[in-house]
Amino acid sequence: MRVLALMAFAGLLATLPACTKKSGSGKVKVAIVTNCTADFWLHAEAGAKKAAAENDVELDFRQPKTQTVIDQMEIVEALLKQGIKGLAVSVINPEEQTPDLTRIAGQVNLVTMDNDADKTGRLCYVGVDNYLAGKEAGRAVKRALPKGGTIALFIGTTTSANSKDRVAGVLDELAGSDNRAEIRKGNFQEKYGVYTLYRKAPITDETEEAKARTNAESALEQLKNTPDVAMVGLYAYNPKAILTAVRGKNLVGKVKIVGFDEDFDTLDGIDKGEIEATVVQDPYQYGYVSVTCLAYVAKGGDKTKIPQKEIKHRLVTKEGTMIKGVDVEILKASVFSTTTRESLAAVK
Amino acid sequence: MSGTIKLGSIFAGSLGAVAILWFTLALPWPTTSLGNRYQLWSISLVVSLTLLCFTFELSWRNMLRLLGVLVLLGSILGRLAIIQFLEGDKTPLDKSNIFAILSEQGSLGIITLGAALLILTGGIDLSVGSVVGLAAVTFGTLMEMGCPPLAALAIVLLLGVAIGFTNGLLVTQLKLQSFLVTLCGMFMFRGFARAINTSNTGLQQAKSNHPEFAESLDSMRALLVGKAANGAVEFPATLVVMMLLAAIVAVILHKSAYGRYWFAIGYNDQAARYAGIGVERQRLSVFVICSTLAAFAGILLLLWGGSANPSNAGNSYELYAITAAVLGGVSLKGGECIAAGLILGALVQPIIFNWMSFDQIPDSAQLWVMGLALLSGTIADELIRRFRRRAKG
Repeated sequence: MRVLALMAFAGLLATLPACTKKSGSGKVKVAIVTNCTADFWLHAEAGAKKAAAENDVELDFRQPKTQTVIDQMEIVEALLKQGIKGLAVSVINPEEQTPDLTRIAGQVNLVTMDNDADKTGRLCYVGVDNYLAGKEAGRAVKRALPKGGTIALFIGTTTSANSKDRVAGVLDELAGSDNRAEIRKGNFQEKYGVYTLYRKAPITDETEEAKARTNAESALEQLKNTPDVAMVGLYAYNPKAILTAVRGKNLVGKVKIVGFDEDFDTLDGIDKGEIEATVVQDPYQYGYVSVTCLAYVAKGGDKTKIPQKEIKHRLVTKEGTMIKGVDVEILKASVFSTTTRESLAAVK
Repeated sequence: MSGTIKLGSIFAGSLGAVAILWFTLALPWPTTSLGNRYQLWSISLVVSLTLLCFTFELSWRNMLRLLGVLVLLGSILGRLAIIQFLEGDKTPLDKSNIFAILSEQGSLGIITLGAALLILTGGIDLSVGSVVGLAAVTFGTLMEMGCPPLAALAIVLLLGVAIGFTNGLLVTQLKLQSFLVTLCGMFMFRGFARAINTSNTGLQQAKSNHPEFAESLDSMRALLVGKAANGAVEFPATLVVMMLLAAIVAVILHKSAYGRYWFAIGYNDQAARYAGIGVERQRLSVFVICSTLAAFAGILLLLWGGSANPSNAGNSYELYAITAAVLGGVSLKGGECIAAGLILGALVQPIIFNWMSFDQIPDSAQLWVMGLALLSGTIADELIRRFRRRAKG
């Protein structure tokens, strides 16, 4: 019986390939490997698919099941045996992955995206500067609490390069000084300018949304007698988790929320006036620009003349109007939400 | 038809298979000289395989337990071969891809051996993944702090022994259930890993802090995981390390008194106690073996991946190990285990993931396929027991 059951399973496996996409179309193949599985990457996939269709290339878009170098590199190494002509990677640990990615850049055209590894010989980096984006979130906090107060930072992890830069950006903006080196090492102070950092460190949740919500609820409970509180959610699901907790304790409007990334719940929260603002990257462009660049080089384009497009972070507010001191594009939440939904739907 | 078939013919057949593998992969032949460490590894591989063949009892009962996993592996390999020959630009049977699969099999196999021994004796260890993570982070952090690689390796192995000893004492002396003890351990050891280092740890960091470690660290990496400094896989050394350990486990399990004790304890611990076996002492030693192997796998994880994140290094490895053990013929109810089967079981997960990549199966499908594999294993396990019971009764 055991054999029969396993044979049935094997049979099932054998039939699976019939359901999957067949390659061998003769098109140039490029691949994108993200750093984890997240809604954020759906936008990048949408952009990548659009660029693939425009440039007539075949795209393999892969998301590792966990945000670990091992899982990511397992996918990358397998892709290298599949005849790809270009690869875009969201680097998880730039320093440690540099030797591997340098070797890979010698085999295929390599683009780093979302998180850079600049010593690998990659063609280009497609992504925002997370430190500057963090500073933008810091400015939003300053506008919400101009006289100072207590801020609580929520983030999935503080181990990746982009998370460290985001945290450093927020705190440096609040302090009005450059403490990047110390913050990157994980050394935090209690006071940053006129702002007190809750628990003297960012609160992490291991990228678990449920834990992010519990963290926010627990912080709200402990800060219930503290005036002027702002909560900053630095991973895509964090603002949503904070908002759920704030709603649960009837503190909407009293606790200021500043977010990161374009989760639809975050955008709706901004539109309703529950969240001050969110800083968005441009994952759609990450996918679009990466594939365009790889397709261009794979088809014999000049590597020194890669179509460059600087990707800047943007700010989303309720009104979407000009704000003094903000020199990036400002988007209106309701409009941005609609256009983002449309661009996703167009690709699906 | 439950008798054994001549060992000589099995041995000859296995050697033939190894020879074909050697030719296919163009590996260095073990006969030329001992100067090259990989030739030494080649010899070790042959010796381990020989030992495994000699300890394997080719009975119908064992064949039934392993035929299923062989069919599973064969069908996936067949699919990879079809891809290789029909889709010209995809080369799954390329030496470097085979090396990558075998290396993954090696590291998974090492924790599978420990997990399987524990399941054999009627226990379970859910903390394996966290121990792997803690070991990887401790190994990296110690080197970053200035501890030489070899000393760091020894300390981490001792840490594994200590963890196993603690788990074992809690289960055997306080009579706590191994499921609960190791479930708590899963949280605790993950927490310790995060407390030890709040950031990623890795080989490059250790090398830049202490350039004097670079040479010994590169040699250790080449020796234990077969990777060059630029991360290219030169030889599936992890597989050989696993084979050596599997051969030792096979001899203990199938040819020594300890093995017979463990089978007896797993089958019926009360009966084993009446037979005069020191059940608690044996169980304690198996806990130590399991955690030490997990700690060793953590070291290999850092050497293989180059970096470890305290939050997620080794996450879910305990489940992969249990899956591999069950597919390799271990009964979750204890008392049944075939050392050679564990090697095959540990190959299933890496080869499935690799095949899914080549067939562009969505990433979201990976976990349910693994889940289904475990489920079919356990269902079959139960059915075969009922079938045998009915046949006897």
